[in-house]
Amino acid sequence: MAIRMRHIDRTFRQEPQQIGNGEDRGVDVLKDISLDIARGEFVALQGTSGSGKSTLLQLMGLLDQPSAGSYTLMGRDVAGLDDNARSDLRNCCLGFVFQSFYLIPYASALENVILPGLYSGTSRAELRSRGVSLLERVGLGDRMNFKPSRLSGGQQQRVAMARALVNEPDIILADEPTGQLDSTTSEEIMGLFHDVHALGKTIVLVTHDEIVAAGAGRIIHLEDGRIAD
Amino acid sequence: MRFIRLLPQIQGMALEALWAYKLRSLFVVLGVAMGIASLTLIVTAVDGANRKTLEIVEMFGPDAAFVLGGNLKKRAVGMRTLTLSHEDARRIRQSLPGAYLVVPMRAKGGQTIRFRNKNYQDVFVVGATENYATVWNWPLQEGRDIRLEDERTGARVALLGSKPSRELFGDESPVGKTVFVSGIPFQVVGLLSYRGMTGGGGDIDNRIIIPLSTLTTRFNMDRKYFRALRVKFHEPSYMDAHTENLRSLLRHLHELPPDQDDDFTILTADEVLRFLSMFKGGLAVFLGVTATIAMLVGGFVLANLFTISVSERSEEIGLKRAMGAHRSAIMGQFLLEASLLTLAGGVLGLILGLGLGQLLSRLDILEIRFSWKVFAMAMGSALAVGLVFGLKPARHAANLDPIQALKGLD
Repeated sequence: MAIRMRHIDRTFRQEPQQIGNGEDRGVDVLKDISLDIARGEFVALQGTSGSGKSTLLQLMGLLDQPSAGSYTLMGRDVAGLDDNARSDLRNCCLGFVFQSFYLIPYASALENVILPGLYSGTSRAELRSRGVSLLERVGLGDRMNFKPSRLSGGQQQRVAMARALVNEPDIILADEPTGQLDSTTSEEIMGLFHDVHALGKTIVLVTHDEIVAAGAGRIIHLEDGRIAD
Repeated sequence: MRFIRLLPQIQGMALEALWAYKLRSLFVVLGVAMGIASLTLIVTAVDGANRKTLEIVEMFGPDAAFVLGGNLKKRAVGMRTLTLSHEDARRIRQSLPGAYLVVPMRAKGGQTIRFRNKNYQDVFVVGATENYATVWNWPLQEGRDIRLEDERTGARVALLGSKPSRELFGDESPVGKTVFVSGIPFQVVGLLSYRGMTGGGGDIDNRIIIPLSTLTTRFNMDRKYFRALRVKFHEPSYMDAHTENLRSLLRHLHELPPDQDDDFTILTADEVLRFLSMFKGGLAVFLGVTATIAMLVGGFVLANLFTISVSERSEEIGLKRAMGAHRSAIMGQFLLEASLLTLAGGVLGLILGLGLGQLLSRLDILEIRFSWKVFAMAMGSALAVGLVFGLKPARHAANLDPIQALKGLD
């Protein structure tokens, strides 16, 4: 099992001045989430905005911590891990793709791709060769030294996908990866996701786009912080 | 430690970021450079002043007193400066305990020396009795000192200072040659070694020494009095007592009543040292305050620009955290960026400071001395500014919540 969650709650506590009466009241963003995602699955998380799908993805990605419940990632209980241990897990075993790409503006495409590898201590030469072959695979072999500002949105997202793969993680987490792209480019990017999936990676993808979701092996619907159905 | 292992990678990222934000980097470098330049200037100036003090004291001699006619401290209007007589010198020689060498002297400035058809102007002519070089601890490069019979016979012999010797003779030896001082021929019998002291009374090497009797007769000066007196003592550890004895004796010889000030001034190495350290202390405090302020300004420029940088680069920070960077790696990168900039500022400041020092040194305003201590202090302070003022923004960066940072909020 790649991801196993049991009775996960996520409550954001509001500052007292925001509710005005000093009462300690929280907002339940996720309530009693239990789910299993097997290795090699392609799952789409769907829901309206505010349904908690991004928060759920952040919890899966160890960028956030649940208020209650248990989470087992690749067979490992990650509750109570400290910040460094969670960083190490993000580094080795998870790949992230975001809606707004998040490329470092002053670094070239290749340098952006190898960034996660720099924090795992992989040698530069090894990273370079991995980065070059990944960029070739996403069709940017001729733009390796381009800065992000000289790449189109679709190309920037390809760089981001190559970056997500550079440490050879088992799980790719994507938050609205096609949200800023037109439909043709979206299709190309989704094609890449399917290629990556074909390599045996587990993919969890947040989207509100029906067509994108339809391509996934399984759709999990979220409604008001709960899993629907 | 993981951070150390990743240092080359993090350093690479730091350098890339510094290059990407060139203008900001330049401001930090310049800000720190100003502070380090002032610091360099202080340290070199104080070192220079220390060295000069030591030279002056050594030259003056710890075992000697220099008596000047007139009271330098209470300089009354119209006070006579010709108060020391040959009789005083004789009595000191005769009865002052511990004194073994007493040399009276007088000087006449602005004289022209001629050798063959070469003239050298504005030389300080000193008239002194025998053992002039010895009494000033001034080694002779060659030849001999003024002798007793030179003084007794009013001989036309001279010790030449290194400055006029160089001007008139170049690299050749002046000893045995005849030079004309204001038209009067003198045979050069000795050459004083180079002392290289400047400031105050002009170039100390620009002088010629002739017997005192010769000076007074040939230049029509007062024969009874002279201007100054050098006394050398045995047992320099009793200098305080020697000085007190000398003072009492002179007051007695000059028949000064108890309520009247001295009509002479006794200078000793201690006195010279006190005066110099007073001057030096003022210099150090003034420059120290300036440098501290300049360093603080540099530090605040750094802290300010780095705080802006952290909030502008919050996406980059959030992304790196999401990609698995430890807090220490983020903090390390920002501290590294800060200290690389301040070290660059340190190098630039050192160059600026030493350059400025050279200039001031050349203009005879300050004596500058470079040392590895200056280098170490400049680099150390630069690094300290980087680490201290970079710490808060770096910590802030490291503690950003990755999700919030990615949203561009902090």
